[in-house]
Amino acid sequence: MNLKDCHNFSDFRKLAQKRLPSPIFHYIDGAADDEVTYARNTSAFDDVDLVPNVLRGVEEVDLSTTIFGKKLDLPFYLSPTALQRLFHYDGERAVGKAAKKFNTMFGVSALATVSVEEISSMIDTPKMFQFYFHKDRGLNDSCLERAKAANFDVMALTVDTITGGNRERDLRTGFTSPPKLTLASLYSFATKPMWGINYLTKGKFELPHLQDFVKEGTDVNSSIGNYFSTMLDQSMNWKDAENLCSKWGGHFALKGIMSVEDAKRAVDIGCTGIMVSNHGGRQLDGSRAPFDQLAEIVDAVGDKLDVICEGGIHRGTHMLKALSLGAKACSGGRLYLYALAAGGQAGVERALEKYKAELVRDMKLMGCTKISDLNRSNLRFRK
Amino acid sequence: MALKDCYNFNDFRNLAKKKLPSPIFHYIDGGADDETTLKRNTEAFNQCDLVPNILANVGKPDLSTTIFGKKIDMPIFLSPCAMQRLYHHDGDKASARAAEKFGTFYSMSTMANNTIEEISNISGGPKLFQLYVHKDQSITDDLIDRCKRSGFNGMCLTVDTLVAGNRERDHRTGFTTPPKLTLQSLMSFASHPSWVFNYLTHGKFKLANVASKTDKGTNIAKSVIEYINEQYDPSMNWKDAEYCVKKWNGPFALKGVMSVDDAKRAIDIGCTAIMISNHGGRQLDGSRSPFDQIKAISDAVGDKLEIILDGGVRRGTHVLKALAAGAKACSFGKIFLFSLAAGGQQGVEHLLRNMHDEINRNMVLMGCKNLKELNSSKLIYRN
Repeated sequence: MNLKDCHNFSDFRKLAQKRLPSPIFHYIDGAADDEVTYARNTSAFDDVDLVPNVLRGVEEVDLSTTIFGKKLDLPFYLSPTALQRLFHYDGERAVGKAAKKFNTMFGVSALATVSVEEISSMIDTPKMFQFYFHKDRGLNDSCLERAKAANFDVMALTVDTITGGNRERDLRTGFTSPPKLTLASLYSFATKPMWGINYLTKGKFELPHLQDFVKEGTDVNSSIGNYFSTMLDQSMNWKDAENLCSKWGGHFALKGIMSVEDAKRAVDIGCTGIMVSNHGGRQLDGSRAPFDQLAEIVDAVGDKLDVICEGGIHRGTHMLKALSLGAKACSGGRLYLYALAAGGQAGVERALEKYKAELVRDMKLMGCTKISDLNRSNLRFRK
Repeated sequence: MALKDCYNFNDFRNLAKKKLPSPIFHYIDGGADDETTLKRNTEAFNQCDLVPNILANVGKPDLSTTIFGKKIDMPIFLSPCAMQRLYHHDGDKASARAAEKFGTFYSMSTMANNTIEEISNISGGPKLFQLYVHKDQSITDDLIDRCKRSGFNGMCLTVDTLVAGNRERDHRTGFTTPPKLTLQSLMSFASHPSWVFNYLTHGKFKLANVASKTDKGTNIAKSVIEYINEQYDPSMNWKDAEYCVKKWNGPFALKGVMSVDDAKRAIDIGCTAIMISNHGGRQLDGSRSPFDQIKAISDAVGDKLEIILDGGVRRGTHVLKALAAGAKACSFGKIFLFSLAAGGQQGVEHLLRNMHDEINRNMVLMGCKNLKELNSSKLIYRN
């Protein structure tokens, strides 16, 4: 199997599984508890059907959308995800360049392995910085200042990781701290020598946004769950979010909103966008899927801020359904991470090309030429 | 595989399967007929989703609740289960000690292998006794009097076993009378020598609480099914239940209530609680699951008695959903028996610790400070 054999989400996933040591693959692929929410994030799209219109003259399709004051050529962007250099030695460099090529937003995690400064010098297209609220206020200030100085367009505060989710695959594979090098995981690293060689020879693994402040987490062996539970400030409240929002002074989003009530409060504290998200099913299993919850939230606040549907998206038609319900854009992490692992920048570009081609084809089949043509009359919910 | 590798229901189940002779494993694991209800008991939780609130500054959530007049440290407890000596040579002693350690209820079955007095001597924790109405009323009276003298906190009367369910796995494995020692079951006992050794060397197996009154059931070769059908009074009616409530004169539950009408009658005869249960899917296959039924019952009687959900609970999020739908606490049998079989007292403690941590983590992710905040607004049912 090769990159050219990858036509969809599950193909990229399979190739990633071939290329990555299993603890790393399962870190991407896994979710919380029984992964019920993770599965629902995608299956929710199948409870509603698209209803196409015909004879509309659709030779030219415009996929552009505007979020956070920035015009993107695609109605979806790349969610911020941590530790990208674990998945491919180019990490954020590969993903950023691919995002630039397609002129869509690139989300950079606080746990990125390439610095905001380097990314900013590399790409001039829209950029979002994803922020965790740490106990260490000096670290918080430093993140905001560096992102501002590096001309990031949007700040997104993650609000659904107040404690680490129960990712049982990581417990079993030993993607945890201290590293449980079981026989199985050793075997897995040994049988993926290319990953090991690249990991060791293409520059030191770093977390540039944290390393001046902490020892934890800069060692790849520290687990993400542990980082959430020990370094982040669990007392974070609406006042803190409001202060961060005004301190940033630009486009500001809360990532991980699921209730209508919280969406309304996001408007009150000055947010210009929200990501309806359950962290890809990686935090609270049994929680509602973003697509299931989208309509209610759009009805309540869709005219006041940008509502982004994040999670479970595998297909162009999934995006069409979310956009029809009123999302301004979609985003995803696994959407491009498998592709990154499968082939670096070329992999991510191939994935973006595939999703774009799907969107163009599906828009034509729906009889739509621009994103604003999509609305709820395109959809029928099954009961 | 060892106890430390047990993170969830399946892990405990797998370890129990390794440790137990197969007729005994299947006696725990099986349900009635086609086991449709057994499956549904757990699946029902996936028909609705939790909706978390963010930025709630939860701190350390308070997981305590009060049932049967006793404050317990977390909203789960051990259901009464018969013949625990079969699963681990420490039997009820192990369960009672583990429950006390975690500040929650241990429940004793009429068909326990330890006496009421023995358990009361080793555990000062909260204790519930599970009663069957016997044909010989002096047996029933004797049990109630002894529980009172021994300081049990609550009494529950099982009302869903007027006749034994059709547990076909038991027919096949020979967990029946006269014992069908098939080649397969003999092999299974022979291949679990440490179970057999412990079973034979740790005191005689007897139904300790009724041993002085009847010689039935004192032999492992007598099946539970036969005991139920011989000893329990199938003509038991509301009057009999009311008699027990009056005689006990303390916190009292009917265990196995499934209809709204019966829940209302439970109030009329003076019950302080009901356990919504279908006996873990072991009695009437095709009957409704507790979680599917809880909302209707809670709407009707939730303000007048304590509702306990018994059946299908495997995860902290299941508990959260049950509480949001109106339960005051949940109880479980299978998962706890597997943990008992997997590691005796240590096994049960491991399970209770896992469950505690899951409930705690999920409360934080839900943004709830205490169990009262888990109300119906946090739960959305899918169509």
